[in-house]
Amino acid sequence: MYVYDQFDHAMVTARNAEFKDQVERRLKGELSEDQFKPLRLMNGLYLQLHAYMLRIAVPYGVLSSRQMRTFAHIARTYDRDFGHFTTRQNIQFNWIKLADTPQILEDLAAVEMHAIQTSGNCIRNTTTDQFAGAAKDEIDDPRPWAELIRQWSTFHPEFTFLPRKFKIAITGATRDRAAIRVHDIGLQLTDKGFDVYVGGGMGRTPHLGHLIKSGLSGEKLLSYLEAALRVYNRYGRRDNIYKARIKILVSALGPQEYARQVEEEWATLDQAQIDAPHAEIARIKSFFPQPAYADKAFDAAALDRTKAADAGFARWVRNNTLAHRRDDHVSVTISLKPTGLPPGDASSAQMDVMADAADRFAYGELRVSHEQNIILPHVAKADLYDLYRLLDQNGLSSANVGKITDMIACPGLDYCSLANARSIPLAQDISQRFADAELTDKIGDLQIKISGCINACGHHHVGHIGILGVDKQGEEFYQILLGGRADEQAALGVITGKGLSAEAVPAALERLIKLYLELRTDETERFIDTVGRLGRDAFAGALHEPA
Amino acid sequence: MKLLTANRLTDGLVLWYAGGPDLSGWTEDAALATRLEDEAAAALLEEWKARETEVVAPYLVPLVDENTLVKREYVREHVRANGPTAGQTAFDTARQHQRGEVF
Repeated sequence: MYVYDQFDHAMVTARNAEFKDQVERRLKGELSEDQFKPLRLMNGLYLQLHAYMLRIAVPYGVLSSRQMRTFAHIARTYDRDFGHFTTRQNIQFNWIKLADTPQILEDLAAVEMHAIQTSGNCIRNTTTDQFAGAAKDEIDDPRPWAELIRQWSTFHPEFTFLPRKFKIAITGATRDRAAIRVHDIGLQLTDKGFDVYVGGGMGRTPHLGHLIKSGLSGEKLLSYLEAALRVYNRYGRRDNIYKARIKILVSALGPQEYARQVEEEWATLDQAQIDAPHAEIARIKSFFPQPAYADKAFDAAALDRTKAADAGFARWVRNNTLAHRRDDHVSVTISLKPTGLPPGDASSAQMDVMADAADRFAYGELRVSHEQNIILPHVAKADLYDLYRLLDQNGLSSANVGKITDMIACPGLDYCSLANARSIPLAQDISQRFADAELTDKIGDLQIKISGCINACGHHHVGHIGILGVDKQGEEFYQILLGGRADEQAALGVITGKGLSAEAVPAALERLIKLYLELRTDETERFIDTVGRLGRDAFAGALHEPA
Repeated sequence: MKLLTANRLTDGLVLWYAGGPDLSGWTEDAALATRLEDEAAAALLEEWKARETEVVAPYLVPLVDENTLVKREYVREHVRANGPTAGQTAFDTARQHQRGEVF
């Protein structure tokens, strides 16, 4: 993974010293809250419903075991012993004291981490495929390009005060696991260069991104992004926060006209001054080598025997592992969705266990997925059972990846000051309703995504089943969306039926799933495929109790 | 009738005004919050808005009666008063104050 150079160290050290001074001045009353608020937000510190929340950037979701242990240390020392992994591949701590933040940022800097670009109207942490560099279907590794964008965008003076926040996602595989079509800019690496999608996003006004350029050379990536951002920065609306995202500009201009303006702007730029030289790209790529793979003898027959003897292990291998570029390895997803617990949360002890697992079995590397799970990208098949047992002993062996209980859920009104309704208790209820492993396996791949408000941090627009919490005069209601997906066939879900109370949602989903199981052609037809074949209306009636 | 609430500057925790001239008069336990008449509540709000080294973002929570929140404020203020309803810290507040839910 990338290692800070002298410039990275100097920037983070200087920023931390600056923020330490700002915190001291705020505590002494030399800064008002109005003056301090934008400063703390630029350092990832929010004031939420119950306390300060610190959001820490995990650049493109890549973590070392040492960094994960630092998260455990922060959870134990400064928080209430847990952290929440987010849909932006970051981590949030919900119970941080203002006076502790300078020390926390110093602790983070010691492991080359920070909380910069996790708030504000800047270019946020670039997200990518959690299996980058490991997946069998990968065309090119997106991590060096995400790192290049990180270096270009951090403290970019022109793009620090954009009309609104700006999110870039990259995928380098044939399957889109980074949800690129619902990002401000989505980049698809192909064997001919980058396909550039612009104007995607969720929130109040969801849009799918439009393809505005194909085959963009990696060596021209930064100047093209600069042109795209410059057009947005110049013409994006600043008069209405709800219309300030680039998706509104692209929609208003039309994708072709926006693309034309970007090309025009691009032609005026001194591209050589912006684009990274070939040697610099090569230098960054050198930080992302394949690990020194251990040649461990793998006995397929022995693995089959172990699976036959341990049904839990067999299910975990089936659901939580993904084909690796090497036949003797797999990528393992550690589900943070155990039955009845909040999606994405991990205790400090579990963070330490995951770090230990990475050191013992995965060359010291972990990833955070936007589905709020943790990934060990490179695990020798010969180590799978030992890894499983370690995880199982620590409540980390839920074998539900990609299944109905592997839900995305934002923190919702239990923590978030923007939320209208709670997400976590609903996720817990659904998880308990579908706790039966045989049933969830029978249902197959199904993504439920829950947001506690229209800002859509829980990605409800692109859930096969999306759930949006709303407040109706002091009562929580939940709208159900069907048919969304965030993959290479991205589609926005559509609200189906009337809003339901929290108590009614699990039973409604049960009826919906029962109907799906009756209607599907066979067990290979996934829920989203059946909805696509028959239409959402075929399922609307099941959401409500028969009269 | 209203409650005055805010977050403490130093740690961001939810506080409720419970009488007295300084921060020691505030409580983390919503059950102990002073029920204020509207006029007194408005005056206290203005006073505490200016005391930014002690509390952040003070505001008033309307009540129907001494123990009933106005319905449109219900979920948000119920969660603020009782702590997260889910997860590792659910019901910390109730445990800390050795009481059941308020409002």
